[in-house]
Amino acid sequence: MKIVVPFKSVPDPYAGPGAAAKSVVNPFDEIAIEEALRIRERGEATEIVGVTIGPATVDEQIRSALAMGVDRALRIDDSRALDPYAVARILRALVAKEAPQLVLMGKQAVDDDSNQVGQMLAGLLGWPQATFISKIEFLENKTRAQCTRETDGGLEVIVVNLPAIVTTDLRLNEPRYVSLPGLMKARKKPIEVLTCEQLGVTVQPLTTTLSTARPPKRAAGTRVESVEELMVKLKQEAKVL
Amino acid sequence: MDFSWSDQQRELLDAVDRFAKEQLAYDMIENDRHAVFNHDAWMKCAGFGIHGLLVSEEYGGLGQDPITTVAALERLGYGCKDNGLLFSINAHMWTAIIPLVYNGSEAQKKKFLPGLCDGSIIGGNAMSEPNSGSDAFSLATTAVKKGDKYILNGSKIFVTNGPIADVLLVFAVTDKSKGASGLSAFLVEKDSPGLDLTHKIEKMGVRTSPMGEVFFTDCEVPAENLLGKEGAGSWLFTRSMTWERGCILAASVGTMQRLFETCIRYANERKQGGQAIGKFQQVAGKIVDMKMRIENSRHMLYQCAWAAGHRKAIYLEAAMAKLQISESWVKCCEDAIQIHGGYGYMVEYEVERELRDAIGSKLYSGTSEIQRNIIASLIGL
Amino acid sequence: MAATLVLIEHDRQQVKRPSLHAITLARQLGGEYALLVLGHGLDAIAASLVSCGASAVIVADDAALAEPLADRYAAVIAQAAQKYGAKTLIGSSSTFSKDILPRAAALLDAPMVTDVLALEEVNGERAYRRPTSAGSMLATVKIEGDRCVLTARATAFEAPAADAAPCPIERFDFDPASLPNGMQFISREQRASDRPDLTEARVVVSGGRPLQDPETFERLVGGLADALGGAVGATRAAVDAGMAPNDYQVGQTGKVVAPELYIAMGISGAIQHLAGIKDSRIIVAINKDPDAPIFQMATYGLVGDLHQLVPQLIEAVRRG
Repeated sequence: MKIVVPFKSVPDPYAGPGAAAKSVVNPFDEIAIEEALRIRERGEATEIVGVTIGPATVDEQIRSALAMGVDRALRIDDSRALDPYAVARILRALVAKEAPQLVLMGKQAVDDDSNQVGQMLAGLLGWPQATFISKIEFLENKTRAQCTRETDGGLEVIVVNLPAIVTTDLRLNEPRYVSLPGLMKARKKPIEVLTCEQLGVTVQPLTTTLSTARPPKRAAGTRVESVEELMVKLKQEAKVL
Repeated sequence: MDFSWSDQQRELLDAVDRFAKEQLAYDMIENDRHAVFNHDAWMKCAGFGIHGLLVSEEYGGLGQDPITTVAALERLGYGCKDNGLLFSINAHMWTAIIPLVYNGSEAQKKKFLPGLCDGSIIGGNAMSEPNSGSDAFSLATTAVKKGDKYILNGSKIFVTNGPIADVLLVFAVTDKSKGASGLSAFLVEKDSPGLDLTHKIEKMGVRTSPMGEVFFTDCEVPAENLLGKEGAGSWLFTRSMTWERGCILAASVGTMQRLFETCIRYANERKQGGQAIGKFQQVAGKIVDMKMRIENSRHMLYQCAWAAGHRKAIYLEAAMAKLQISESWVKCCEDAIQIHGGYGYMVEYEVERELRDAIGSKLYSGTSEIQRNIIASLIGL
Repeated sequence: MAATLVLIEHDRQQVKRPSLHAITLARQLGGEYALLVLGHGLDAIAASLVSCGASAVIVADDAALAEPLADRYAAVIAQAAQKYGAKTLIGSSSTFSKDILPRAAALLDAPMVTDVLALEEVNGERAYRRPTSAGSMLATVKIEGDRCVLTARATAFEAPAADAAPCPIERFDFDPASLPNGMQFISREQRASDRPDLTEARVVVSGGRPLQDPETFERLVGGLADALGGAVGATRAAVDAGMAPNDYQVGQTGKVVAPELYIAMGISGAIQHLAGIKDSRIIVAINKDPDAPIFQMATYGLVGDLHQLVPQLIEAVRRG
């Protein structure tokens, strides 16, 4: 089985305030990479291909993916501000070229928080999808996958025919730490660079971010010294009890 | 000497920085109080590639040169507060792995190095004896060859990693008549009959690094576990001790750097008489001296590692680096406590532990006095 | 015909109330809107929706839609949108909508905006405000073309009045045999709870890692929630530690809540958690650490040990 893992380079969400915004592999995508590695380590996959879209500056995150253990990586050279639908259309062309049995990716990128690409890609390809998964197992000689999904109402189990798109939630696994041997091996692995033209896709993003702003800060309230004082505030000042 | 890093070295060192910060930032107060060795962190470090930095790839290591290795350990010391763990790792690397790398037979390397690199085998070195410390070659432990075995009798003290070791490099007398040339080195595995590793010693600092006494009572060691030739023990010890001296305090340079930054933060935050204490000359002076000591230490460490990497003799460089770093470390810790005032003396502030951890560095791998003797003899005194 | 279709979510028994808030966004967009419900055995649910001011309640009712499988649901939704000429498709932000609507958007060749908080107008053109980066930024987004799919943050839109004259219920006919068949429903975890739903409750009590274990979590967080008639939430750390089920998680990747009263117990206030609670009217934080970031946004902060304070608080609430 061949697995394609699309991943995105995002500003480190755990960088402290004021810290220089270093880029990292989107944490949800990192979980997808980890799961692909585990599937390969169980002997159920033979090749893991990492794919990202961006300018050469994202090569550092590509090397992180390779250092984790992805077999080879592709970068689709495009530095435009793409929207999820544009990304999905580019990935469709890539998936058609690579013909994997499984596409594993994060459920959302933590910068944009859109949570769209995997589902859109599934729709474009006409493939089954399993979103927000916390568990995956292969059935019937890897022709189907049983997935546990994290939904608002609790856990849900579905089976999807392969090939399929699967998006990962937080609790699927704990990604491994990139080790020094992994880092050194990654230096020897190829990064293939493709353009949208080479893939035969022309897409224009249909959504544009006009501006961004910080939300108004919630003012800090008051400290209370005791449960009694808190009760008084809740009843008399806030009037919620 | 060029100490600028290549892109590959920088990538590796940045990765160590991140690793230490993200994976080794655990709470130390309780671990220190109860002298807990963090085996989980040990395995993380090994899995990350620390233990095998210097070992070639065919034996499960990374094949890095000495300067990259010490710089990586320095980063580890900067990010990890567990000086005991770092001490255990350093003992493992410099006193068990290095002798095997340079003197092990192919079979010995194949047998031990992969496990020593991946952390599944913990190594140590047993030289000092109750009556043989700085006078290292007056050993009483004996090894007598009997068929395809050596029979060891005697005891060793201050054995770092002793209580948790899977293999110890043990020095013993095989021919008393030959003096220093009658010493031999053995790889003693923990399940050897007649070996007792259970005697822990409690100590002042680096408490999370287990240390013990080791007893040999007709302890049987297979002849193939002789490291190097019979009688090569003292040469082998000197060689490995030179590496140990030069490099074992690499992490301490990072530790000092962290302490230095803590002091700067504190001196800028803490106000007395309406101004930050860092504005007082006496406080600023201490921190400036700290900076000087750290830079000198780092430079001597790199110089020593650079020379080792270029296959130059490093007797002088190693003794100087050891003396410089250990004394700087202790002084930095003392000053850090002084700058922090009463708070620095409190366990909660985690400065006093640094001093307790530092003091041993003036004793192990040759006391400061021994280092001065070595330097004196090498500069023609 | 309807300019907008609003996808209504239900749990087979009744409509999920937050999904109705998407109707308010449809009203703000202007023009006619119809409600779309998919499932099987929907008569009562459809009937409950006729007074929401829609032009029609469109019902796709078939055994093939008994479970919300994304491939089938998206296909039916796309067909309905085409049949009714709807340019805009709206759902409320939930795992249901987030699973199905992006797929429908791709089938309709339409862009999508997730988690709309408000409509804006920029240089005379419509734009949408939405949160990014765990709510630490607000983006204003514009769409090219006349088609789009939106999900609305239920907490950002009022519940619509349900006092309009009843609208017709229309059956949407489709060919079940033509639907995709690559996904199969196996099971759903059913947890009986008398507590209100997290996203609908007036009071939410949440706990973090210091609650230690499931028993303590239930005793303190559950106990206080019950005393207040509220719902129970949890941080990611508490969920990861096995103290609470995953669907209790509040935050960037969990649920977004905006109750009248949110009580955070032993929650330090990671940005990912704060993203899910900041529109609550009153936030109470109880934490041992006086420097915990949560205190910077709490209406009332109480520093101290949960194990002592919370039993006192439960007792005080019970006394009234």
